[in-house]
Amino acid sequence: MVIGKPLGRFLSVTILLSWTLILHPVLAEEATPPGGTPPQVATPQAAEPKPDPAGISTGDKTNVIDAGGNSFAVSEPSDKADPDYAKKKKDFEEYQTQAGKEPLAEKLADAVGHLRLATNFGWTLLTGYLVLFMQAGFALLTCGLVRKKNAAHLMMLNFAAYVFAFLAYYACGYAFQFGAVAVNAAPTNLGGTPTLNEFLFGSGQWGFLGGKGFFLSGAGYDAGSNVLALFEVVFMETAGYIIVGAICERITFWAFILCELFVGAILYPMFGCWVWGGGWLSQLGATMNWGHGYVDFAGSTVVHAVGGFCAMALAVLLGPRIGKYGADGKPRAFPAHNIVFVVTGTFILLFGWMGFNPGSTLGATDLRISVIAINTNLAAVAGSATAMILWYFLFKKPDITMACNGMLAGLVAITAPCAFVSANSAVVIGIIAGIVVCSGVLFNERVLKVDDPCGAVSVHGYCGWLGAVCVGIFADGTYGSGWNGVGAASYLGKAGQGVTGLLYGDSSQFWLQLGGATLCMIYAFGFTYVTFKLVNAIVPLRVPAETELEGLDIPEFGMTAYPEDALAEAK
Amino acid sequence: MKQVEAIIKPSQLGEVQQALTKLGVEGMTVVEVRGFGRQKGHPELYRGAEYTIDFLPKVKIEILVSDEKAPQVVDAIVRGARTGKIGDGKIFVTAVEEIIRIRTGETGADAI
Repeated sequence: MVIGKPLGRFLSVTILLSWTLILHPVLAEEATPPGGTPPQVATPQAAEPKPDPAGISTGDKTNVIDAGGNSFAVSEPSDKADPDYAKKKKDFEEYQTQAGKEPLAEKLADAVGHLRLATNFGWTLLTGYLVLFMQAGFALLTCGLVRKKNAAHLMMLNFAAYVFAFLAYYACGYAFQFGAVAVNAAPTNLGGTPTLNEFLFGSGQWGFLGGKGFFLSGAGYDAGSNVLALFEVVFMETAGYIIVGAICERITFWAFILCELFVGAILYPMFGCWVWGGGWLSQLGATMNWGHGYVDFAGSTVVHAVGGFCAMALAVLLGPRIGKYGADGKPRAFPAHNIVFVVTGTFILLFGWMGFNPGSTLGATDLRISVIAINTNLAAVAGSATAMILWYFLFKKPDITMACNGMLAGLVAITAPCAFVSANSAVVIGIIAGIVVCSGVLFNERVLKVDDPCGAVSVHGYCGWLGAVCVGIFADGTYGSGWNGVGAASYLGKAGQGVTGLLYGDSSQFWLQLGGATLCMIYAFGFTYVTFKLVNAIVPLRVPAETELEGLDIPEFGMTAYPEDALAEAK
Repeated sequence: MKQVEAIIKPSQLGEVQQALTKLGVEGMTVVEVRGFGRQKGHPELYRGAEYTIDFLPKVKIEILVSDEKAPQVVDAIVRGARTGKIGDGKIFVTAVEEIIRIRTGETGADAI
């Protein structure tokens, strides 16, 4: 069905406006002031937590925790049926007595709690800024990997990706992903964001989509929530720009904007809710006794596999670039136009990953951050070394772009397991990722014939899946006790045992990781493919052939990345 | 001996090269050039100011051939470079006085 461009654009805008209309009842709920809620049922309920936009009531003695995770303040036990009730009641009474004797210590504890949260606010924001900087790294990397005539197009895609995905996430993405985080996965390092406590779809331990904090207002206008929002939006942006690598050199700018709005508004946030927002996948440990529930520390699947398989679906829908496959079906090379950008971009991404992985503790008070940082680097270099050596043995020369892709593959693969594994496991994970990315690039290019200019599907899709599975293999139990609400007292018979993989005695974690990662792959590919097959029928995603052959810089944006001044006349 | 000079669209270079290789042409020189014929440039807007891109990127191929082969070579280039759209380019055939291979000192037809 071919429709003219103006009508097509009108229809796209209509679809977007319909989204807003669908959200209207939710928006109306957010606009209601706290006092204006409908009459409550007669049963006494806990007061609805008040958002704290100025940060002046966030952080007190209840946030004071020692190195071992033990709370300073003891709360009154409420569950009389608990076997430990008597002991807990005694501990609480002792604490009350002690607190009565030292009121100054209590006041100091309030300040300490505030300071602890402040430390973690600072940490989370700063690591978030590092992840934001990765945007520049990816822009350089992908720009360098394509042909010169599309350089401005690539930069604009990366730039506009940040802009539009952010707006979609602000409008509804954040609320969908974290609107119910306080139900099952309250970020205690940031004060617990208690106002984000309701699912839009689902409830309890079977949540599917969050329902508070739309437009970062109402329950979302809170100091703690904003820290979380900043940190999580830049993670969403990562998934958003991953798709650029596979769809560039042939997608129209306006179709691309729709892709970014789709990623920021629903594709990324929904799976993100299931894993990080307290949704059903993370709760499978508590509900079905499957390990610690689905575990993905910093987002091998939540971020990278979602981006990578969304990219794959779009690349399949778009088709290969003109001239990529000859009449004999053999792939033709379109060499990178600027290797300087490619390597510089990779270094910037590595640097930003120092925010991506260690930052995911959401707090500097969690001292595992050092192990995470080291593991991240080890996997990066192991991945790159493997790619270089493997490519040298296969093709007699180490390919610079594959060396860079190998490093990124290692980084993507370690992103899920980085907090749970030892240094040696990190190296092994990096090596496996290096092998997977090299095989993946060759497989996509020669067998599947999916044209992926920057290797996004192999680096982020395949290695993202690998990363989540590696949690289920290599996690050694030294960290993550009580993860997703499982085994806080003891796990696998040991007190303090954390997330554990196959090699250390937990097979249920492995099977859940395998299942969850595969679900992510099917979800991201399927949802994207169906949605954009529909969009493509209304408005074609691909530029006309002459535009593609000329290069998208002038036809789409009216300017080139490298104009030769002497030959361009100004009138 | 003739020199065949062809100015073509950059996107057609691959096809022209394949067609020439099939014919047995063993060497060519390729240069990136800019220019216009009847295609002309088109107007653009940059931060509010109008400008025209007059000179469009093209590729110039120079091949040296014997007199007998010249028509076939011209044919091959036309087949490879023609898209049917404006801006396909032009071919010029000129006579060459002398050709010398630097490495061996051969001259004339032996040096092609």
